[in-house]
Amino acid sequence: MKEAIRIQQEDFSQDEEIRALQASSKRMGGIATFLGCARDFSEGREISEISFDAYGSMALSELNRLRFDAIAKFDLLDARIVHRIGVVHAGEQIVFIAAGAEHRVAALEACRWMIDELKLRVPIWKKEITPQGDAWVTPHP
Amino acid sequence: MIEVLFFGPVAERIGKNQMKVECRPGIRLQDLRDELAALYPQAFEIVCLIAANGEHVRDLSLPLADNSVVAFMAKFSGG
Repeated sequence: MKEAIRIQQEDFSQDEEIRALQASSKRMGGIATFLGCARDFSEGREISEISFDAYGSMALSELNRLRFDAIAKFDLLDARIVHRIGVVHAGEQIVFIAAGAEHRVAALEACRWMIDELKLRVPIWKKEITPQGDAWVTPHP
Repeated sequence: MIEVLFFGPVAERIGKNQMKVECRPGIRLQDLRDELAALYPQAFEIVCLIAANGEHVRDLSLPLADNSVVAFMAKFSGG
């Protein structure tokens, strides 16, 4: 089985991730997921692809910490996070987060918390590639 | 030596993603930041996060040891 936390260039399968999460416990009554995708339009500009750079070792360590923090904070049974780096084309998947808990509220809240925290804590940067040129993205609140 | 890492927008402004800086006795994170900011002011305009040996650091008085790894980073934009 693949690691619960991964940073990778290649695409991932949501189904595989959810199956892996489900396999971790039969007490799981709710699974919430977040899928971040590459948009083809941003702030009035057409986006053809997005390039991601990361401080790999620190990003992996922060993601692992984030998973443990979420499991403790929301009493999750398990959680998984996969983030792609390198070049991602418009319409493709970027990041997947799944949280599994006994009940839905914990799973939903944990999923929202993890993507918000990921944006604050994990050293990854995205650059939008457009026909007019490239631009590093200024984070949104 | 201290290994200094740059990523994404900071690396682009500096024109490289790493460099080595001599480790002097008593050197602190603030000293390293000030020296590099004087050399690369445009890059350090967007530096708002610092990591030492893979951990976030807020206290710039942190003493740096030989073989420390320091990253000067712009605000993250993953996800």
